[in-house]
Order: sequence, then C-alpha cells, then structure tokens
Amino acid sequence: MPGTVSNDRKNLGIVDFIGVFWRSLLLQGSWSFDRMQTLGFAFAIEPVLRKLYGERAEYQERLHGHLEYFNTQPYFAAFILGAVMRQEEDRATGKDLGGDVTGLKTALMAPLGALGDSFFWGALKPFAAIIAVAASMMGLWWAPILYLVLFNIWHVSLRIGFLIWGYRSGGDAVSFLAIYNFTKMARLFKIISLTVLGGILGMMPLWRPEFRLEYPVSGVFIVVSCMALTFGLVGMLRRGGSPIKLMFGLAIICLALAYAGVTR
Amino acid sequence: MPVFDLHMIAIIVGISLVGGFLGLDRTAVGQFMVSQPLVAGPCTGWVLGDVATGLVIGTVLELIWLLDMPIGNFVPADATIVTVSGCAIAILGKPGGTTLAVIGFSLLLTTAMVPLTMWADTFIRHRNSKLMENVFSSNAENMAQAIRRAHLSGIFAFFLKSFVLCLFIIPAGMAAVQLVEHLPGTVQRALSLFVKLLPLLGAALIVRKLSIRLFDLFLIIGFVIAAIFGLLLQVPVLIVLLFTVIAGWLGARYSEQRS
Repeated sequence: MPGTVSNDRKNLGIVDFIGVFWRSLLLQGSWSFDRMQTLGFAFAIEPVLRKLYGERAEYQERLHGHLEYFNTQPYFAAFILGAVMRQEEDRATGKDLGGDVTGLKTALMAPLGALGDSFFWGALKPFAAIIAVAASMMGLWWAPILYLVLFNIWHVSLRIGFLIWGYRSGGDAVSFLAIYNFTKMARLFKIISLTVLGGILGMMPLWRPEFRLEYPVSGVFIVVSCMALTFGLVGMLRRGGSPIKLMFGLAIICLALAYAGVTR
Repeated sequence: MPVFDLHMIAIIVGISLVGGFLGLDRTAVGQFMVSQPLVAGPCTGWVLGDVATGLVIGTVLELIWLLDMPIGNFVPADATIVTVSGCAIAILGKPGGTTLAVIGFSLLLTTAMVPLTMWADTFIRHRNSKLMENVFSSNAENMAQAIRRAHLSGIFAFFLKSFVLCLFIIPAGMAAVQLVEHLPGTVQRALSLFVKLLPLLGAALIVRKLSIRLFDLFLIIGFVIAAIFGLLLQVPVLIVLLFTVIAGWLGARYSEQRS
C-alpha cells in the first residue's frame, strides 16, 4: 500500500551512489524532442527505487511517477538525482512521507539547466578548448590530452560533488549556489578564454607550419593584418551568417586572392 | 586513386565504428569531450597512422564549432562526424601523404555534409519520442525492463546514426578528393590558403559568441602580450600562453572589483 513503511526497507549506500552516477552518464541516451531526458532520469533512478521499495506495487507507482517530463543540463542533473534519492529514501523509510518529488524536480530543472548551460557549455568548454587549441597551434602534440584534463577535472569532480551535495542538502540549491558562485566562475573562464584567444592571434608567425602564413614581410605586420581580418569577420558575423556559409565565403575569397596572385 | 578492395573496406568500416563510438560522447554517453574535434581528429589520425593531419583538421574544426551549443531543442552541427570523415578522407584519399589542398578540400566537402548530420540527429530524436510509447504500453510489472530496453535502444540509435553517416560520407569523399590533383595549381593554392585562414574565422566565431563588443579589450590585451613577448622578445610560447592566462585572471578580478 503506498505510503506505508515496512521493516525490510534499506537505507542507500555507496554502491547505490556509484550505480546512479554511472547511469547518470547515460542520461541523454534516449533524448527526444517531446520528453527530452525523461527516460534517462527514470533509467538512472530505477535501481534506487527497487532497493528502497522492493518488488511491490509502490515501486511500480514510484517508477511511473518518474516518467514525467524532465530536462536540465546533463551534468547538473546529478544534483537533482541526489536530491531525489534523498527524498525517496526519506519517503521509503518513513522519515518524510509527504515529500513532493515531482515538485522538487520541476523546481530545480529549469534554473539549474540555465546555469549549467552558461557555465559548462558557455564558459568551461571554451576555456579548456581555447587553451588546448593554443597548445595545438604551437605544435604541441599533447594538446588533446590537455583539453580532456582541463575540462574533465572540473566536469567529473563537479558531477560527483553535485550528486553528493544534492543528496545531503535534499535539493537545497540556494545553499549550494552560495558556496559555488558559478556565474562568477563563468565570467572568469570567459575572460581568460578571450585573452588566450588574443594570444593565439598574436603569435601567428609561431603557429605550426601548416597554418603559418609565409610572406616576405615582418611578423608584426602579419599578426596586425590577421587581427584586422578577424575583427572584420566578427563585424560580418554580427550582421548574420552561419559558420557553413562563412566557410564557403572564405573559400571563395581565397580563390579570388589566389587568382590575384596573393598566394604563394 | 585508392582501391576499394576488402582491406580498404575493412578500414572504412573500422573508422566508421570509431566515429560511431566517439559520436556517442556528443549527447548520449558521458559527454567527456572525446567527441570534440580537437580530440576526435587526432584519434582518427592515430588509427590511420597520421596524427598530424588529424590534429590540423581537429584544431580548425574545434574553433569553428566550439560554441555551437546543445541548448534546449537546438540540434547543433555534428562536428564529430565532420571531423572523423574529414580526417579519413584526407588521409585515406591520398595514401602517399596528404597535402594542405587535400585537407582544405576535405574540410569543404564534409562541411557541406553538416545539414545532413543535423537532419539525421533530428530524425533520431523524433524516433526516440516513440520509445516512451513503448514504455507506457508495457504492463506495470515489466515497466523497469521496458525503460531499460527503450533507453539502451536510444543509445544504439545514436551510435548507428554516426556509424552509418561515416560509412556513407567517407568512401564518397575519398572518391571526390581525387579531383584535387586535377585542379589547376591556383585553385590548389587557394585551398591551402583557405586552411591557413580558417583559424581566423574560428576565432571570429568565438569572439562573436563570447563578447558583446566588436573590439573586446581582453582579446586585445592577450594579443598585445603575445605579440610583445612571443614575437618581439622571443619568449618561449608556453610561457607566453601562461602570461595570457594570468592577464585574463587579473583582468577578471579587476573588472569584478570595478563592478
């Protein structure tokens, strides 16, 4: 019977956390336009529900409850999974029979989704990628490893931390965000990304040979010209245009320059 | 002209499998960034015995597609398929050693395939909507199993999408890339220049997305530091990069205090 407590119910342990973490890595495996990560969330939480409720009607009812719409930033989903684990545990062990799990998920997924998108996709990824691209441009073979290390040190540790924090706080995102100021960190990463990108452009004559422009003019002239060209392209992009169109546009310009005798 | 014998077909299938597995990292599994061009390119190059070409293609495409973000319903360009196919075409299409012109041609060819990759991704995501119907139509006792089966079939569908697209694009591209050696020298030089200038387009795309200003102050600071220390004073590049990181960090702290 839903809501009743029986003695054979267990608390969650480290193995359950490892299981949920592992399954959370597959959160977007069945991503769809209408339900987005719903199946992935149910897939991740299912072993926990089975352990807490056993193979009885309440387990099926709880599992069915997790088939409601769910979508957030995939890394931040670990926080919500942790919070839901806590609520389900409290419910199953009789500590809190009235917890609104659906309400909790609904309340957290949109703000954490927006925050996660701007932090992970809009700041951390460019930060790691631009530093690695800088290393690659200078001919360093280990640039891809640098990319993976710079990104995943943050990504994996935060993802594990989100799961634990979500469980411990029971979904208290406010206290969590008071400790980790993601907006401030995102700004820091973006600014560093831009200075390193400027650095890449400033060292153009030192780029790996495949990208080096070799003309009988000074290196400073080349970098200033290329910086001016970059600003010109930024100006064009502000008026619209997709990367595909711009790539083909650039190819046509290169063709014109080649026929004008500019290439060597 | 590469011969499409059994050995070559096995290589193409193998590389398509690599593309399929790397492609999983884009959305379905983990998102550890192994699917990103800068990693997927050298991986493909390593499998095919030419890491340098993989690194060149990966670096360029990383800059171009870096901020094409998977937010909400938006399906970004599949830069993994573009990278894996581009590398395979450039390396396998010219067995004697690839050239910048061939790399440029491969990049244009695979970039033209981007709308196809986006269409395939959209198709898979629409098809995944039906998985939910299967779960709801299962009886209550078997719901957990139905969820597991539906979810894992979604992952398989994402794998299959990347695998099939690579399997289609790579041989077609390898045949097309044979045109390069028949092109006039001027066109080949234009393709080489195109590869050299692509990083500037990539940089412009990033500035456009990361900064609201046309002349971003931090970009200019990094540029000046690199030009002075790297070009004029000949300081080692790694130290110059470190200087730009420190300058960015100090700049962020300064702008934070001001605001």
